[in-house]
Amino acid sequence: MHNSSAFIQIRRLTRRYLEGEQPRRIFTDLDLDIERGAFIALLGPSGCGKSTLLNLLSGIDLPDAGLIEINGCSLTEMNEAERTRFRRRHIGFVFQFFNLIPTLTVEENLFLPLELNGLISAEQRDRALELLDHVGLGERRNSFPERLSGGEQQRLAIARALVHGPLLLLADEPTGNLDAATGTRILELLLKLHRQAGTTIIMVTHSQEVAGRADRILTLDAGRIQELAR
Amino acid sequence: MTPLFWRALARHPLRHPWQLGLAILGIALVVVAVDLANASARRSFALAMERIAGQATHRIVGGVSGVAEAQYVQMRVEQALRPSAPVVTGYLPNADRPGQLLQILGIDPLAEAPFRHPAADLSGADFDIRALLINPAAALLPEALGEAVTVQHGEQRFTLHRAGTLRGPELDGLIITDISTAQTLLGMAGRLSHIDLILPDGAAGERQAEELRTKLPPGLRLERPDQRNQALADLSASFSLNLTAMSLLALIVGMFLIYNAMTFSIVQRRSLLGLLRALGVSRRELLIGVLGEALLLGLAGTLLGGVLGLWLGSALVHLVTRTINDLYYVLSVREFFIEPIALAKGAALGVLATLTAAWLPAREAADVPPGAALSRAHLESGWRASLPRFLLGGLILLAAGGLTLIFSLSLAGGFVGLFLLMIGCALLTPPIVVGLVGLNQRLTARCGLLARMANRDVARHLSRTGIAVAALMVAFSATVGVGVMVDSFRGGVAIWINDLLNADLYIAPAAIENGNHRTETLTPAALTALRNTPGIAAVSTYRAISVDLDGRPVVLIAVDLAPASQAGYRLIEGDAEAAWRAFQSGEAILISEPLAYRRGLSVGDELELPTDQGVRRFTIAGVFLDYGSEHGRILLHRAGYERYWHNPTVGSAAAFAAPGENLALLRERVQEQLGPMQSLLIRSSRAIQQRTLEIFDRTFTITQVLRVLAILVAVIGVLSALLALQLERAREFATLRAMGMTAREIGSLVLLQTGFMGAAAGLLAIPTGLLLASVLIFVINRRAFGWSLPLTVEPGLLLETLALAIGAALLAGLYPIWRMARTRPAEALRVE
Repeated sequence: MHNSSAFIQIRRLTRRYLEGEQPRRIFTDLDLDIERGAFIALLGPSGCGKSTLLNLLSGIDLPDAGLIEINGCSLTEMNEAERTRFRRRHIGFVFQFFNLIPTLTVEENLFLPLELNGLISAEQRDRALELLDHVGLGERRNSFPERLSGGEQQRLAIARALVHGPLLLLADEPTGNLDAATGTRILELLLKLHRQAGTTIIMVTHSQEVAGRADRILTLDAGRIQELAR
Repeated sequence: MTPLFWRALARHPLRHPWQLGLAILGIALVVVAVDLANASARRSFALAMERIAGQATHRIVGGVSGVAEAQYVQMRVEQALRPSAPVVTGYLPNADRPGQLLQILGIDPLAEAPFRHPAADLSGADFDIRALLINPAAALLPEALGEAVTVQHGEQRFTLHRAGTLRGPELDGLIITDISTAQTLLGMAGRLSHIDLILPDGAAGERQAEELRTKLPPGLRLERPDQRNQALADLSASFSLNLTAMSLLALIVGMFLIYNAMTFSIVQRRSLLGLLRALGVSRRELLIGVLGEALLLGLAGTLLGGVLGLWLGSALVHLVTRTINDLYYVLSVREFFIEPIALAKGAALGVLATLTAAWLPAREAADVPPGAALSRAHLESGWRASLPRFLLGGLILLAAGGLTLIFSLSLAGGFVGLFLLMIGCALLTPPIVVGLVGLNQRLTARCGLLARMANRDVARHLSRTGIAVAALMVAFSATVGVGVMVDSFRGGVAIWINDLLNADLYIAPAAIENGNHRTETLTPAALTALRNTPGIAAVSTYRAISVDLDGRPVVLIAVDLAPASQAGYRLIEGDAEAAWRAFQSGEAILISEPLAYRRGLSVGDELELPTDQGVRRFTIAGVFLDYGSEHGRILLHRAGYERYWHNPTVGSAAAFAAPGENLALLRERVQEQLGPMQSLLIRSSRAIQQRTLEIFDRTFTITQVLRVLAILVAVIGVLSALLALQLERAREFATLRAMGMTAREIGSLVLLQTGFMGAAAGLLAIPTGLLLASVLIFVINRRAFGWSLPLTVEPGLLLETLALAIGAALLAGLYPIWRMARTRPAEALRVE
């Protein structure tokens, strides 16, 4: 599993939380390599640390020990500001509960990562609006998120996560809060965009069906990560 | 409702002690806001009056110089008028403690027993009251004054030695001496302040009083002490009313604070409340539960408010007492007294205000759907849907306030109108904020994402921001309103006094004020010397005395005015030339604007004045602009004064220098000429103007304190509103962090938002404050004091208000930003 040229390298990763005064281990000495452009499904029972792993990969959480390197950049050696800049530029996030900004319109939610990255040229905006058309929300660009259905909100969240061309897309149960048909359409959309842009995707899911569409299936349980044979 | 239900609700505030503290502090401030200091001053006034009056049912009073002692002897001996007791009373400064006035009460120890408790009680204590008779320097002193005290009268100092101790806070600042000692101290040889009498109750007493009235020589009157005390107490009623108005303002802002604190605690517990609903707790039970919690908070806040009130009240009572001393009458009692009724009033208001302010949050809690948290969007869309109702409600209240001001003629009606206008403006705030956000959108479109988000956030979170902006707006509009009123007042007074005091030098005995008239006068020799001093071109003379108009004291000034002094009086009614001509005869008077307003008098009317020759009618020749006394002043030519009063004295004089005369040298010359004859104060008009404005500024110190209190409460209100908002948006901020926004950028977002809120509050506070100022100037001041003021707006004050409002809002945003920066986004995202 060790590959020094891997796009993502995780070495001896340890994370624990304090529950009251008792430390609770999420994982200890976790090792993982992920190659560029892969679509990884991450399975595991609730509370096993899947979301924690995504948070560590995005740099919004820090490990107690170990190393995370993405595209040759050591996330664990960066300070807070550097991690934030790295995340802003190279990572897209899709959440189970969409987490759109309620006070921004559809279009503004979409432009948010571009503006944060200073990519606000007319060309970038046109490309972003194309993406919006692509996810079927071109007509809703001036609506506020609360006016959208769950499926529409998640399509917008996916467009927002990809609009600035990130290297890595982290998706935390993106279909978990949607009905089966909508969930399937969201998954198709993600796969299509993944194929077009070649973005690496790590997706947390409980669905075997979703996992079945991934390049690799990893399971996290009792602090250990295993790859399921396909 | 089960104990577990209560426990589920109650554990939250107990686990958030800071928040609990904030809510209790808000309620406490409401309780404090109720005029505790004011109540204390009223109480100390009543005590001061009581300790003079004692058990007396009636008293015989005289004119300017009191009652001749011989008349007392005659009544007691020849008419066997008993029980009767002579009283000499007045105020003298403590020579060793500048600023402390001591009340001298001179009594006859032999006649005293039936009248005053302190003396009666003390006779059996560690001294013999008769010691006062033997030693002219003996006095009964309060413990705090030590073994001896030195008082000052003009240039003279007298040291009094302790012959006994007065105990108890109600006797603070009181010195009891024998009557002859008091006469010496106060310069009232052979005169009494009044004669106390105890007449029987009922018809027999009335008959005796009537009989006595017919026997009294001209110039003496029989009156009941309580009537006089009431008249004196009424003197400062409008000042007290203004304090009460400021306290009510703090109450409104305090209610905003309680609302915010309660809303905050509901927001935090929304999921718990939803869960309780899912478990079968009814809407009504939740409503009662939250209101019950508010009631407990109200009680705790009231308790704290009582303690804080006692502390703050004892600090403020000095300010209130000082102002009353400056403007109305002398209060030597400076201890803080609080009556249980004032505390009970505060407690009732505290609990009532809490329950009223908690009603909407409690409804919000009861509306939480079972099992699920009520979405922000749902809550906010409810608020947006209510905007037309806010608009309509605000406009209706503004109209009602306006109509109340137009159609009511009383001061209370003026205050009701004022508060309707204030609440109307507060209701209009949320719709106007939404409008401002719309206007601001174009501007922020060019300022980048953060500005755009911050601007829109204000309107999108209206349920939180609207209330906070309204609270800030009310507090700062009060700042503008009161500030403009004070500036206008000060400007008016400065112009008035500049016109009035146009002489070069003012000469008066080194006297203290006793009531509203001076006890010391210029000697005729000194006056003649002044007129004959080389370099003096003209002299005006003044004598101020207190006359009773329907039981209320009004200042009558007998004047002999040089033409230039005459020009200093601005006649606002009546033909000036004809008025002054009639005035010179001594049969016509000029009255001040407040007196004309209060009594509905105008030129041509007649006014009955009690003179030393009985009651006389004087024609009103003109009405002059005057800020000297809210109770009115009467100007009478000296010729008339000498004709009807047997008192040819002059209280003070104004001197005009001959052209080209060096004023400093002239002053020295006057001092040289008059100094050997009498101890005098020779002051320039500038010095008197300065002194007047000093007193003016001191009067409004208490107003400033209450203004600061209102702003403080508003800032705490904004802080709790922002905390509620920050808590609700924790996941939104965490998402932004996950997308790559730094904590600093999110901090900037919150600061921009609070800055915008502050700016909106500041901008709205300016027109609202100007409206408030107009009502204060043209309605409240007119009805309370009877004078008209020019409306003067200092642009600096408006800019300062805007800056302060933005500053206060930014300040209130710092803690939420600090908290937000400490929140780990991973944690916030995990809680889904």
